[in-house]
Amino acid sequence: MPTVADDNVVAEDLVMEQKVTLHYSEPLPPNFVRFGEGLLAGKFIGARCPSCGRVYVPDRGYCPLCAVMMSAADELEVDDKGVVASYTVITPVNYYGQTKTEPFVFASILLDDTTTVMRGQDITGIPTEQVHAGLRVAAVWLPPEERSLEGISARGGASLEGSVTSFAPTGEPDLSEDAYRGYEF
Amino acid sequence: MARREIAIVGWGQTPSQRRAQASEVQLLFEAIDAAVKVAGITRRDIGFTCGGSCDYLTGGPFAFVTNLEATQAWPPIAESHVEMDGAWALYEAWVRLQHGDIDTALVFGSGKSSPTDPGALYPQQLDPYYLQPLGIDPVSLAALQGRALLETGRATEADFAGVVAHSRQAALDNPNAQLRGTTDVSVLLAEPLVRDPLRRHDLPPISDGAAAIVLAAGDRAREISDHPVWIRGLDHRVEPHQPGMRDLTVSTSTTLAAARAGVSDGPIDVAEISSVFSPQELILRDALGLGPGVDVNPSGGPLAANPVMSTGLIRFVEIAHRLAAGDGGRGVAHATNGQCLQHNMVCVMEAP
Repeated sequence: MPTVADDNVVAEDLVMEQKVTLHYSEPLPPNFVRFGEGLLAGKFIGARCPSCGRVYVPDRGYCPLCAVMMSAADELEVDDKGVVASYTVITPVNYYGQTKTEPFVFASILLDDTTTVMRGQDITGIPTEQVHAGLRVAAVWLPPEERSLEGISARGGASLEGSVTSFAPTGEPDLSEDAYRGYEF
Repeated sequence: MARREIAIVGWGQTPSQRRAQASEVQLLFEAIDAAVKVAGITRRDIGFTCGGSCDYLTGGPFAFVTNLEATQAWPPIAESHVEMDGAWALYEAWVRLQHGDIDTALVFGSGKSSPTDPGALYPQQLDPYYLQPLGIDPVSLAALQGRALLETGRATEADFAGVVAHSRQAALDNPNAQLRGTTDVSVLLAEPLVRDPLRRHDLPPISDGAAAIVLAAGDRAREISDHPVWIRGLDHRVEPHQPGMRDLTVSTSTTLAAARAGVSDGPIDVAEISSVFSPQELILRDALGLGPGVDVNPSGGPLAANPVMSTGLIRFVEIAHRLAAGDGGRGVAHATNGQCLQHNMVCVMEAP
């Protein structure tokens, strides 16, 4: 055991590593169960707030702006097409846990006839430098037999991992800013 | 400066569950809905909001921010958060109300203990040099505390079992409790030890749940509520983190907080105390100076329901609704943080 009095002590000798792993597992709330079943069936299930009419994808079980609870009765199927409301291109650095090596897009998608964006979506099918706000996109679904709910979580917003790999351009003309102003984040 | 009079005017809690399907935010929604309903106001009427939760429990960074979705935080609200039991959120709001510029506050505590193994999680809150590497968990620390108490001769294992039997029996009347039933000391003592000298029933259940309280000051409290429950004294004191540096068989910080909160200034009808392990109830009764006539933990206490991060705030909820209903005139709520009763809060409430 080295001591500070030793001449040969190097910085690493003075560091005690203590890595901790904690495992968490949590049942999906009913609204996320229904959203996940929708994904397996190739559908996005959202919910319309009975008070303000905003459409959330997925249903969170409540409208945070009106502070009202929502239920299965408020749910509806929404189209898997939308518009890039905002985006950034991330160049990955090699931090612990980072699996990406190439630049990728992190986009907020406003699905048609909804009022909340799905954040953190990848855009494929065009070079990253051509991604822009207003771009019309549609979900790229895994084949039904390959879909799973592995990546879906009870926390946060839309977790599409396991069913939708990315969004890709539809080829339709861009939408004007009016179509997504106020929904950038 | 004279202290502003602050009252509890609304309260709510979810039933305690071993594994809730609802998310933490959904649990909070239910508790806050109940609290503002009892107060007869809306979320928009709240002047200051403070929550108590733990991101380690949730397993997500900044999970406490998501909890604000239950508070109607748009347009922006004035809010704060403590990585502590919701009782400390109540303390912060009580201090905030002393400023005099706002008259109402919402406080809450929430947490789900079910997603991860408490035995692996809780050592993470210990000091990283001496205790954390040992991996010592709260059950082991509580067993050391129980053993130390036995060795003083002031309690026996039968006394521990007596605390549990009372908790289970009292919880029969508590719809939010998780463990309840009629049992007796001899049956409990026949159970095997899990950490000598503690048996499984000496430990709290693993619980998911949330609680919320609405506070109001002075005339605003009288205007809102026909039955305001007044906070007459509120204090908290902390002892060294290292359990080896203090006598675990007494709770000096509780005694100090109780004196400053004015527990002995009048008779106490009812007390709800955060005795998370059965020996702690005996230590806390002594530390608070509660006589044999005081109804202690009529809800069943934390041995019947222990939704960590709201366990302490629920003590306030339990006292407030009893006093508001005329079930006693003067009560004590106690909350604790840390290992082996390291940090303690005492509140004296009255409903004249």
